Amino acid sequence: MSPDDVMIIVIAGLLSTSCAVLGGFLVLRGQALLPDAVSHAVLPGIVLIFVLSGERASLWTVVGATAFGVLCVLGSDWLRRSGVVESDAALALVFPALFSLGILGISRFASGAHIDLDSAIYGDLTFAPLRTISLFGADVPRSLVITGVATVAVVALVVGLWRPLQAATFDPAFAELAGLRGRLIGQVLLVAVAGLAVVAFDSVGAILVITFFVVPASTARLLTARLGSMLVVAAGCGWVASVAGHGVAVSLDTSIPGTIGLASGVLFALALVLAPRRGVLARWRART
Amino acid sequence: MSAVVTGSLQAGALQTGTLQAGSLGGLLEALPLSYPDAVVVVGTAVVGFVAGLLGPLAVLRQRSMFGDAMSHGTLAGVAVAFLLTGAKVPELLLLGAAISATLAAFAMIALERTGRLRSDTAIGVVLSVSLTLGIVLLTGISGSGNAQQSGLDEYLLGQTAGMVERDIVVALAGAGVAVAVVLVGFRLLRSATFDPGFTAVAGVRTWIVDAASTGLLALAVVLGVRTVGAILMVALLVAPVVAARQLTTRLAVLLPLSAVIGAACGAAGGLVSGRAELPAGPVIVLLATALAVLSVVLAPRRGVIARARAGRLREERGHVTR
Repeated sequence: MSPDDVMIIVIAGLLSTSCAVLGGFLVLRGQALLPDAVSHAVLPGIVLIFVLSGERASLWTVVGATAFGVLCVLGSDWLRRSGVVESDAALALVFPALFSLGILGISRFASGAHIDLDSAIYGDLTFAPLRTISLFGADVPRSLVITGVATVAVVALVVGLWRPLQAATFDPAFAELAGLRGRLIGQVLLVAVAGLAVVAFDSVGAILVITFFVVPASTARLLTARLGSMLVVAAGCGWVASVAGHGVAVSLDTSIPGTIGLASGVLFALALVLAPRRGVLARWRART
Repeated sequence: MSAVVTGSLQAGALQTGTLQAGSLGGLLEALPLSYPDAVVVVGTAVVGFVAGLLGPLAVLRQRSMFGDAMSHGTLAGVAVAFLLTGAKVPELLLLGAAISATLAAFAMIALERTGRLRSDTAIGVVLSVSLTLGIVLLTGISGSGNAQQSGLDEYLLGQTAGMVERDIVVALAGAGVAVAVVLVGFRLLRSATFDPGFTAVAGVRTWIVDAASTGLLALAVVLGVRTVGAILMVALLVAPVVAARQLTTRLAVLLPLSAVIGAACGAAGGLVSGRAELPAGPVIVLLATALAVLSVVLAPRRGVIARARAGRLREERGHVTR
């Protein structure tokens, strides 16, 4: 394996770790589809900042994209609370519209420029090792720095807010009564998801983000019964999928994020069938 | 009331029948548009009609994102059909899309039934795995250097260029099936949507209703996926229903109204996207969403403004607000 291959695997693994940790909470809170909506909704933010400043990956991009992600969540929440639209329909109404705006923006203002449609949809993990920035005198891939910082921030957030996050996830009413600010924690989680979706967007594109958030976390949900071990197993699944997916992609010459997602899918299917106690096989054996 | 609507729906079905019998060319010439534009407008209108008519099956049963996962699932079927046949025959690609969308739906239902996963997690897992599969296959195909493959990525974001009369005939056949099934099963559909418990007690096998509505959703998704694209198709299922829902409280009015809204958005979006050389999916979706938001805000009784005004009136008259 060349150093570039190792770099791609490390970036994908770090991304899987942070996505899986936040995804675990989303799966338990019944918000598993949120990253899908947010990752589509950030596109117009990225395009807008590009049109205004000509930059594709500045701090402003992250701010603009996150703002649109939050706008998507707040917009669907407003539709839901207005009482005339069910929550799932509200989500399904808001994010395709924002994604459409982004696509039209790209075709109008930025076609042929640095954000082309393919990289917005599929991401460009493959070229991540080639785009470097200089850090303390050494050339380091930009994605590695961004993803690394995001992963450290996410893990720090989850460790720091462990008690309130746990309480707000399993028993929102208790969290509120115990002074743990359940609603606020929920909003912090949303902003973190939006920010991380932007980071993931840069590497894996708009439509595969949900795979990184949801599939390893669901796999871990089938295998474990405790929150802490669930998050660790989810991150582990992400790393295994990154290594396996990268290997498959190189030998078949196809999309790396795609095969990583497929590898996660295979792990999920294995867990579904083979999980001790909760797997299909174990329960079938217990019945006979 | 419902008899009138049923009558108009039947008239629609009859019209569909005669169109299929061969007056399609005449209709296309009668429109004040150039021939290619007329094909696109009629084609996208039919697609929008079917999506609007069948969208309530998803929205009213709180299965909007279920429809999203089904439309993402079509991509893998399109790719597999292309790999098997080695050519871009639209009907075969659509058949592949239909099969994979149905498989995705069954996978979601099966995951929910195993009881360990919530429905949103089941949808998320199926949506992402089927979409990744589709993307891996499409990327593999485009790297294979097959000269036939260009244009398969249209199924991601939708394209109206290259639409021909045969596409309209296929869409009309689908529309005919959809209208017929909705007419025949209307009472069952109504009770299953609003009172599933009663329907089950009344002796109707719920799985028949589930299977029929899943099949109809697959039909709508498959017809729309080429025009609107797999990623955005869900909006065409949801937005017309949300727009129509604010204007009526009767299912017998909601279905045709939502179908007409869908058809109008489809026709207008198809025309605009062709003229401005923009991808069709986003244009159609933005039009439909704009209508839905307008309707939520401005609708006569249920709209946000109307209700705010009604609330203020009540306060001024000194009534106790509930």
